[in-house]
Amino acid sequence: MTAVKLDDRLLEVSGAVVRFAPGRPAVDGVELTLTCGRVTALLGPSGSGKSTLLRAIAGLEPLDAGEIRFENHLWSAQGLHKPPEDRRCGVVFQDYALFPHLTALDNVAFGLREGPRSTRRETAMKRLEAVELGHRAKAYPHELSGGEQQRVALARALAIKPDVMLLDEPFSGLDRRLRSDLRGATADALRQSEAATLIVTHDAEEALELADSIALMNEGRIIQTGAPDTLYMKPASLTAARLLGDVDAFEAEIKDGAAHTVLGAYPADGFTPGEKALLLVRPEGVKLDRADTDGALARITARRVSSGYARLTCRLETGQTLEARASLKENHRVGDAVRLSVEPAFAHLVRDEQA
Amino acid sequence: MIAGRAQFNPVRPAIVAALICAAPLLAVAALGVFGPWTDYMGHIARTRLPAYLGHTALVTSVAALSAGLIGVPLAWLVARYRFFARSVFEWLLALPLAAPAYASAYGWYDLTQPGGPADFLPTVRGPVGAGLIFGFALYPYVYLLAREAFAGQSADAYEAARTLGARPRSAFLRAAIPMARPAIAAGLALVVMESLADYGAVVHLGAPTLSVGLIRAWAGEGAIADAARLALILVMIAFVLFALERSQRQRARQTSASGRRRPPRRVDLAPLQGGLAVLACLSPVLIGLVIPLGRLTYRAFHAPLARDLFQAATHSLTLAVLSGAAAALIGLACAYALRSKKPTAVAAARLAGLGYAVPGSVAALGVLVILGGVQTGLDDMWTALTGMQFPLLVSGGVLALIFAYQSRFAAAAIGPSESALQRVTPTLDMAARTLGAGPGETAWRVHRPMVMSGSLLAALLVFVEVLKELPATMILRPFNYDTLAVIANNYASDERLGEAALPALLITLIALPPMIWIARRITRQEGAK
Repeated sequence: MTAVKLDDRLLEVSGAVVRFAPGRPAVDGVELTLTCGRVTALLGPSGSGKSTLLRAIAGLEPLDAGEIRFENHLWSAQGLHKPPEDRRCGVVFQDYALFPHLTALDNVAFGLREGPRSTRRETAMKRLEAVELGHRAKAYPHELSGGEQQRVALARALAIKPDVMLLDEPFSGLDRRLRSDLRGATADALRQSEAATLIVTHDAEEALELADSIALMNEGRIIQTGAPDTLYMKPASLTAARLLGDVDAFEAEIKDGAAHTVLGAYPADGFTPGEKALLLVRPEGVKLDRADTDGALARITARRVSSGYARLTCRLETGQTLEARASLKENHRVGDAVRLSVEPAFAHLVRDEQA
Repeated sequence: MIAGRAQFNPVRPAIVAALICAAPLLAVAALGVFGPWTDYMGHIARTRLPAYLGHTALVTSVAALSAGLIGVPLAWLVARYRFFARSVFEWLLALPLAAPAYASAYGWYDLTQPGGPADFLPTVRGPVGAGLIFGFALYPYVYLLAREAFAGQSADAYEAARTLGARPRSAFLRAAIPMARPAIAAGLALVVMESLADYGAVVHLGAPTLSVGLIRAWAGEGAIADAARLALILVMIAFVLFALERSQRQRARQTSASGRRRPPRRVDLAPLQGGLAVLACLSPVLIGLVIPLGRLTYRAFHAPLARDLFQAATHSLTLAVLSGAAAALIGLACAYALRSKKPTAVAAARLAGLGYAVPGSVAALGVLVILGGVQTGLDDMWTALTGMQFPLLVSGGVLALIFAYQSRFAAAAIGPSESALQRVTPTLDMAARTLGAGPGETAWRVHRPMVMSGSLLAALLVFVEVLKELPATMILRPFNYDTLAVIANNYASDERLGEAALPALLITLIALPPMIWIARRITRQEGAK
């Protein structure tokens, strides 16, 4: 993660706990820092507490412990709760929550409260035009398409010039193609706004593409934070690695400064001999060679065509399987014997959490 | 609980609503169980009770059967076919609800009695006649609910039946009807509950049911505890129906709301079939509304004006407006209670909703019992303190009447308010709050505009019902305080139908515009979804 500069305006969450019922809290001691002008993605499986954390930041959920500060002003703590209307958090809800009785324009103008009505409407119109919806100003939410609704919700949240922008699965209701179109435009608008932005998502691709930094959340805790490529290449654990994409794990034996696995030996800096470790392998790092070369012997058990590459499942002699990707022009067939090796950059050694 | 929700604690208002709605029923039950036994009950049980029960069974069965046979096919026709003026018939078919059943009974009896202009028809009288009058007056309940179910059914099930080899008629019987069965059953339950509660029509047509027995026990014999016992029998029947209606509606919701649905495309009818469809849609409106009211109009022109008509109309309107407004408030309080999901509040709101099953006569009896109890208590206290008698409470009877109306009808206001408030999802509250609106402002700028038309619907529904209401008004009205319904009934029971005609007609004419609005709104809503 990039170093925090002294003059950065920060939203800091520390030790945050939200508990709905006895048992494990929905948010369980979260530490998170958002920086103005930067986009952070909060990535985790459903039920991991992402949305609850977002709602706590917005002031829609009180904290049971810990605190939330913005620029050193206390927003939430145990027994202290600044109401949501006083926080200037722009929120884009998962269902967009557009007011059905108001037009697109009036929705955007809802949060504007300074100046006469005409100026407020002008400001709202500018915000709508900024998301290319000026021509739909008079439409009611039910007359707008899903993508248009999403943009109105975004314009409405940005219209109040928020210090913090919070987006809860903002693309989940849209089809795939529209999603990728909207992503770029949304990210640009968010960076321009100078707000500290948090996007909640369960889609790794979305998080990697959109965010300046990613926080991984699992079972109510943040398990790793960092820049997208760092997180992808150097996950802190198997769980973290799985949140960001396909990965296969192999037990490794630490001996003589190296990690020995069925796929060969890899450098093991920082690990002590005898320690339980796992070698994490991303499919794009697996190299396939003819069977008469060096490497681990395996057999291709399945080949499926995905967009742009072939997805191969290989079974090693030990019975373990491994996912690999190959160019579609290569003539791999199910049943072929191959030798596997892993490009060191895509192989990453972590401690075995189970042990 | 959720910090983003508008802060409003609905527990207390909901408990007040529940008390208003349930207290009369509880009072009747208490009196029925603990009240003094007189010979009258034994006498009634030996003599008239079997006839009351028999009439009740026959009247309600005929009513349910005819309402079902009219309402279901029309609902299918309007929901699935396209023909001349279909979109007008869609709401027009609901309008017989504007006329009280006794108005229709007066009209039809007068037409078909020996010597009447239509005496070639069998005279409309007795339990079968009354059942048919109810069928044509109340079929809109079945029609409206079934139409909604048919229009909401995905075309897939019907088409699947067709691809599996079913001809249109058999696909209708084997796929469409079973899927709409919960809605139809709920509509039929409403028809039966309304027929159970009626007084005017069954008396006029000579088919006294339990409701009539109850009122005779109270008015004729002054045997209030025995009246309460008859009321309990009535309430038990009504509650069985009510439970049925509720559970079927629950199922109707479950079977319709799931997943993506493709609304069926309406089939064009050929000219001849289209003509028949128009005829089919016209006839129940003619029979249930136009013909009997036409006859009443004719009679009204040929009879002396009923005395105090203007005053009675003012009384009717005052009661209806006040009750409508009060019911809208109670409905809103209950809707907020249900939305809060607080167990106490939800239980209270559900209890308030039970009032729907309480016939008007029973509600009135309950109010009477409660006021009597309060009066005795105050009298005793007052006498002990001052040695004088406490002023009479029951004579402040307008409030007592409104109390009874709320107990009977406020439940009808809960549904519209609840469904209006359901559109205000919790995230809308949260969105408003994060956009800088405090709880009060959220209520004003988001809740008020979204809930208002639902509350208006609730108020108008109760307005129409109170306008038509007869038995509770008869029991509770203050001395010399007549309403249109009471005048009409008084003249009709004196065989002076000419004078009864105008007040009955006026009720319908006043109820018609709000009923048109209600019908159009209910039918349009489904189309917009």
